Amino acid sequence: MPQATSTPAPPASNLKKLLVHVLWAVVAVAAAFCLAAIALNRGENINSIWLVLAAACTYALGFRFYGRFIAARVMALNNQRATPAERLENGHDFEPTNKWILFGHHFAAIAGPGPLVGPVLAAQFGYLPGTLWIIIGAVLGGAVQDFVILFASMRRDGKSLGQMAREEIGKLGGFVALLTVLLIMIILLAVVALVVVNALAGSPWGTFTIAATMPIAVFMGLYLRYWRPGKVLECSLIGFLLVMAAIVGGQWVSQSAAWAPVFTLSSLALAFAIIIYGFLASALPVWLLLAPRDYLSTFVKLGVIFLLAVGIVFVRPELELPAFTRFTDGNGPIFAGKIFPFCFITIACGAISGFHALISSGTTPKMIAKEWHAWPVGYGSMLLESFVAVMAMIAACVMHPGVYFAVNSPAGIVGATPAAAVATISSWGFPVSVPEMQELARGVGEQTLFYRTGGAPSLALGMAHIFARSGGGQALIGFWYHFAIMFEALFILTIIDAGTRVGRFMLQDLLGHVHPALGRTSWMPGVLATSSAVVLAWGYFLYQGVRDPLGGINSLWPLFGIANQLLAAIALCVATTILIKMHRARYIWITGVPLVWLVIVTFTASWQKIFSPVPRIGFLAQAGQLEVALRSGVIAASKVAPTQALIFNARLDAAVCGIFLILVAVILIDSVRVWTGILRGTRTRQVVESPFVLSRLAEEV
Amino acid sequence: MKRLRSFVSFIVALLRELADENAYHRHLAAHGRVHSGEEWRKFSEERLRAKYLRTRCC
Repeated sequence: MPQATSTPAPPASNLKKLLVHVLWAVVAVAAAFCLAAIALNRGENINSIWLVLAAACTYALGFRFYGRFIAARVMALNNQRATPAERLENGHDFEPTNKWILFGHHFAAIAGPGPLVGPVLAAQFGYLPGTLWIIIGAVLGGAVQDFVILFASMRRDGKSLGQMAREEIGKLGGFVALLTVLLIMIILLAVVALVVVNALAGSPWGTFTIAATMPIAVFMGLYLRYWRPGKVLECSLIGFLLVMAAIVGGQWVSQSAAWAPVFTLSSLALAFAIIIYGFLASALPVWLLLAPRDYLSTFVKLGVIFLLAVGIVFVRPELELPAFTRFTDGNGPIFAGKIFPFCFITIACGAISGFHALISSGTTPKMIAKEWHAWPVGYGSMLLESFVAVMAMIAACVMHPGVYFAVNSPAGIVGATPAAAVATISSWGFPVSVPEMQELARGVGEQTLFYRTGGAPSLALGMAHIFARSGGGQALIGFWYHFAIMFEALFILTIIDAGTRVGRFMLQDLLGHVHPALGRTSWMPGVLATSSAVVLAWGYFLYQGVRDPLGGINSLWPLFGIANQLLAAIALCVATTILIKMHRARYIWITGVPLVWLVIVTFTASWQKIFSPVPRIGFLAQAGQLEVALRSGVIAASKVAPTQALIFNARLDAAVCGIFLILVAVILIDSVRVWTGILRGTRTRQVVESPFVLSRLAEEV
Repeated sequence: MKRLRSFVSFIVALLRELADENAYHRHLAAHGRVHSGEEWRKFSEERLRAKYLRTRCC
């Protein structure tokens, strides 16, 4: 498939060429037709298969033409050039790997909860804005970023984004990149923990299932270390069967008068449980809990994504949500703000995600056997992730709009009782009733589905709906719902424990410059102190989210989205710098256009989140409003302390948002200084690539 | 049938890669060692230490 620039493919016959041209013309027409169908449809429900076809055809075109253009013309990939995997092969991290295996490996690494949760939240605008952003954003932005960073790292012996920022832009850029990643990690961990808390609060079935995964992971850890060393697949299969048994057992627990209260936990109790878990998992040996859970969650994640794709194609459900809802006006119940800029920061992973740049400059560049493999691995994997986001959008939109809003809206917006909530939501033109919600909750084995903010429960409902129609019918919908919740919580918890550990290492790395002992990973007081600091940092934001009367997602998810997109802006700054240094200045629009777009989106969103006069959008306006209420004496004495905490939190969020902006502005200014210097000839364009070495590997590995 | 067989063998190879089993076999081959519990523990500790030094994706 991929060709070396130096070894052109044999000439094809004219007929074959014509057929290929006709085939791609058909794909292009199909893409245009499907996109037009989903964009122009009004009033009637649309079948989800239109979204699937629009996405698949656009991805095919983007991959074949745009991705290939970047690979051949801009990067000039060359299969004759030995990759770091070949030159530095050591049997560990540097290892030439089959491109499709590496594709799966890279996809498993970039696919997290982001592409699942973001589209579900953004569906409050209707299916159209989010879907178009996912498809177009991935082809022109996300896949380009992943691909260029993977290429750059591959040409630099697998260097990380931070190292490349330091070498290509300057020392300041490298330090700012490290600090930004650490801050983003803290917000990321808080927001994904909040998603799990909101999914499990008041749900004995879900809580039991997730609690059971911990002893199962410990059992797997012991099994792998002492009983059957090295048998990871066998062990993961046993773990999977045990988790399935836990889901079945969870139903029994939820119906047991004795056990159900034990596993029915409040949001606050769950938040503290997750904070304690994060600390323990960060400090315990990785083989005991973290690694076995990670293996299991990777397999479950890939399996469920595959099942969901098959289910959507098999069932072809109709989308119940309209193309646009009334909340394009910025008054959405899930999060406040208009489509621009908030749709584009709510959906980060799935369209463009800065975190991917960390993966593309991590393990993957050390495993690429041939340079042209970076095309399917870097560009193609992101398209597949984008497709996962489209599936999440479909799963959210197959629900009745009234049900979708009843599940996702916080009590602070729609009213504190079910009757008030259905009245508010019905008044928006999305009819829903209390009996309908009760029936639905009973069907999935939950006490209630009102106010289940965070996206995970509504995604699980949508997935259960699709799975149940694929097999088992309504009798199994409760099982499928909790299977989906287990799937989401399992890999979110893996992110929390792994992320806390990584955050601890980053903090140790930074503090090691101040006090060398704190930088030693073997010094237990340092390990405990830095683990506690990281857990307390994200734990505070989680606590803040749980106590937030607007559900927490309204403030934390945009903060996370802004942070993630700003990281993407840093990656694109590095990528643009590298293109200029490679004498590819005429192609800088490839990374420059997504960079300019992200800078406009994130700076606008950040500005609005800090300074908007609307209290639900602007953190400072929210703090001001609460302060006025406090001074005027309308707040009851018992609520004074929590209100003061809310005021402090709103100001803290504004400060964090401001810090992100300043950090990225610093990198941006530094980058522009480097670009203009090179283009004017006042600065040398020194490319820090590894020297050319002729490859000895066969074409296909 | 041949295509199905190659697809299945690809899936198995991918699962083994994700499970670090392939990496373990490469490690044994690269160092001329044979499988044992102790060897797996040494390999696993080194690999996991490197794996969890890296950021996870969202």
